[in-house]
Amino acid sequence: MGHPISCSGTRWWAAVAPNEDYMPEDIASLIDTIISTGETLAEEVEVFIAGGESVSAELKRTKIGIAAGSYAVGLGIRTIDHGHIGASGTSDPSAWRKCLDAAISSGTLATPQEWGGLPLSSVREQPLLSFDPEVWVKAEIAEAAIYQMLTGAEEYPVNVTSGSADISTGYLSLANSHGVRYSTKKSSFSVSLEAISDQSTGYEFDQSVRMSVDPVNVGKMAAFFAHHGRSGEDIPTGDYSLVLSPMAFAQLLGSVFVPAVNGRSVHAGRSKLANSLGEVVADTSISIFDDPFRNYGPGSTCWDAEGVPTRRIDIVRDGVLTEFLYDLKTGYRYGKSSTGSALRSGYGGSPGIGYHNLVFDGPRSGIRDEPAIYVHDVVGAHTANPMSGDFSVEISNPSWIENGDFGKPVRKAMYAGNVFDLLKNIEGLGHGERVIGSMVLPEVRLSGQRIIGV
Amino acid sequence: MMMSGGIRYYDVRHVTGQTTHIDIDNSVIESAGTSFFSTAVLRVLGPSGWGILTIDNYTSPRGKEFDSLLESAASLARITTEPVNLADAPHGVLPVPAMREDPREVSLEEKTGVLGEIESAARLPGIVNSRATYIERAEQVSFIDSSANEYSFEICRSGFNIMAVASREGMVQMGYERLHSIHGLNIRHQQELGRLAGVRALSLLDAKTAAGGTMDAILDPELAGVFAHEAVGHASEGDLVHEGNSVLSGKIGERIGNSLITIVDDPSLQEFGFDPVDAEGVKVGRTKIIDQGIVGAYLHNRETLASVGNGVPGHARAMPGEAPLVRMSNTFIEEGDSSLDEMLEGIHNGIILYGSRGGQVDPGRGVFQFNAEYGFIIEHGEKKGMVRDVSLSGEILSTLHSIEMCGKERKMSQGYCGKGGQSVPVSDGAPYIMLRNAVVGGSGTE
Repeated sequence: MGHPISCSGTRWWAAVAPNEDYMPEDIASLIDTIISTGETLAEEVEVFIAGGESVSAELKRTKIGIAAGSYAVGLGIRTIDHGHIGASGTSDPSAWRKCLDAAISSGTLATPQEWGGLPLSSVREQPLLSFDPEVWVKAEIAEAAIYQMLTGAEEYPVNVTSGSADISTGYLSLANSHGVRYSTKKSSFSVSLEAISDQSTGYEFDQSVRMSVDPVNVGKMAAFFAHHGRSGEDIPTGDYSLVLSPMAFAQLLGSVFVPAVNGRSVHAGRSKLANSLGEVVADTSISIFDDPFRNYGPGSTCWDAEGVPTRRIDIVRDGVLTEFLYDLKTGYRYGKSSTGSALRSGYGGSPGIGYHNLVFDGPRSGIRDEPAIYVHDVVGAHTANPMSGDFSVEISNPSWIENGDFGKPVRKAMYAGNVFDLLKNIEGLGHGERVIGSMVLPEVRLSGQRIIGV
Repeated sequence: MMMSGGIRYYDVRHVTGQTTHIDIDNSVIESAGTSFFSTAVLRVLGPSGWGILTIDNYTSPRGKEFDSLLESAASLARITTEPVNLADAPHGVLPVPAMREDPREVSLEEKTGVLGEIESAARLPGIVNSRATYIERAEQVSFIDSSANEYSFEICRSGFNIMAVASREGMVQMGYERLHSIHGLNIRHQQELGRLAGVRALSLLDAKTAAGGTMDAILDPELAGVFAHEAVGHASEGDLVHEGNSVLSGKIGERIGNSLITIVDDPSLQEFGFDPVDAEGVKVGRTKIIDQGIVGAYLHNRETLASVGNGVPGHARAMPGEAPLVRMSNTFIEEGDSSLDEMLEGIHNGIILYGSRGGQVDPGRGVFQFNAEYGFIIEHGEKKGMVRDVSLSGEILSTLHSIEMCGKERKMSQGYCGKGGQSVPVSDGAPYIMLRNAVVGGSGTE
């Protein structure tokens, strides 16, 4: 329910922090203490510590109304004893004993699992793939980015309504009772702007692990979409060719496709793709893979949230479904190997299954050359049915594109379809790509898509 | 009052607490446990705007240590340029209603057992997966500001979700029920909701995809509540109005709907969105957003009341560790005097829709979308075949005119609302309502 336009996941991951020595000695010794105490209570112990620092500036129309900073810290503990997995977390690492006890008692209740052990220490090289030391958590840098966006937005006669610039750095440490002692750092810089002209709104954003975001262009594009959408015309209900922006496509994939390739959903009977391994599930030109080693990828890492070494996972190769994603627990239960796909969304509880950098790829062409309706963003993707894949959403900034460029805007249009079906109906991928969250995708062209006009 | 460093005002909202969850998936207890948190937000109003610090594991320091936090926040505020002012508002705290059965006093083991009964009730023949989750969150909130306002309270929210999945010949469908409460443990004797989720998933296997287009629609109380939330609630939030990002901006006193429509937000109501006091220490109460079809008031915090006016403060809400935003709480359409039979009789060709997985709105453009879990085609006043996955979209400024009938009995449903990266507990509700010429999204063609 709601208005998740600007949702950015939990603050925890946004607020991953700085620190010159990213495994400070006090953290290392705290980890050793927790593990040695935990080993007297359970066969295996896993400790996760993360902390970070962030700063942000928020626009209210054309003035900065809020400057915010945060210091985050958290400790997660998991214990495994005869297949009983327990977990707990706390924002107060000095209260680790209470957290350890909560993990142990949580484990006594959980149904015992088939369990083959936490991993041994095996990752030798640990390059910082998702960190740039040039990212400084300074309010003045966020401030400068805000003014650059405003400059970009001046390109069109619109009113800026809101915007923000966020900078964060952080550290993560993972350790277990088999000798794993991994640490890494993360950094992130993101900017976004919203503008309006009459009743036409425009939104654009950019994000990077580095300082390489382009605030001027973000301002310009948000203003362009607000300006361009005025005086749109209604279109009749019918089937149309569409070009989905990376932002629109990422939302539909994230709501339906991603949960359907999660190994736990697959084996629990919650995935439409459960029996489709080896079958064509997308146009045969399409490949979808998780690339954890992408340089400066927002989700890049050499080890997953359980310390399993990560690897490239070819989920769909040339249109054929080849692999699902597993963590240790799901892997052990169903006789599969972990694919290094354990992820934590915070310090509490157990890790879940997810992707590091989900890349959508295939041959590129000039997909804007023939007329189509361009879909900049969608309203309501989270209401898609994750089981059946059916969705009906409102299109943001619908507009005709002709001869590679934006033509007449469309006033209002709903788009109804099915994510599993549309993957098979992809006609082409555009040149270039964008990073949206931890997905990397191009524009996508589809034909025969149902639009409900007015 | 002016403090050192150009600080005009400050407040600290510190929340400590614990979250307990249980996850039972196909009769396996996947996890059951408790985590702990403590986090505070310090807000300082400098010469222009806000400097805000979020501090995990806050220790409530005094003296010099606190002054240095104030200075850090004031230093952030130096880059702000917007002249922020705070309107005066009445302070005060309501009592938190006593719980019938405090979930914290029931052992995790017992709660897991009771939840398991709901989960197994969903496992009807033909159901391939059933999953029940329980969530319990207890918060101790303390607030202090530079004007010597101080309050503290404790609230515990708990509840469960049950999902059943049915599968046949490559078709996968789900049924979903949920119940959340501020009144104490609510998972006992709820097997019927588990069974309902199972029945729904199975019957959806035979439902058709709705044909998209414009048609008359009846919304059940849950869906009509989401409609009120998306179609009107967000656009009435004072921060969006202030930014010029709401089509309701400048519309106070204007008629935007049929006179039988009154829409209210009320954080003092003892429903899931209840707050005993808002996140700025302001007294909470009832706000009539739409009064008999006329835009009556915006929802405000102290800042937006000062900058926008025409509304009521006490609507600032925040997740632990986040700065307050203007938010809805318990939002609902008031009862009318029509019966469901009268609504059905008035429809020649249309649709009746039930349940919701939520919705979303672009308040500046004035366009919203929300989704129904299932529905039935209406032909000549009678319910016919079942349809699945139907969404509706509409335009804020015209949609309320299309409501022709409101039912007699209002029902509230619980959920969470996301805005600005924050998710807060809310309830939405309405009686049955009937809309003429609703835009229904479906990919079917018949």
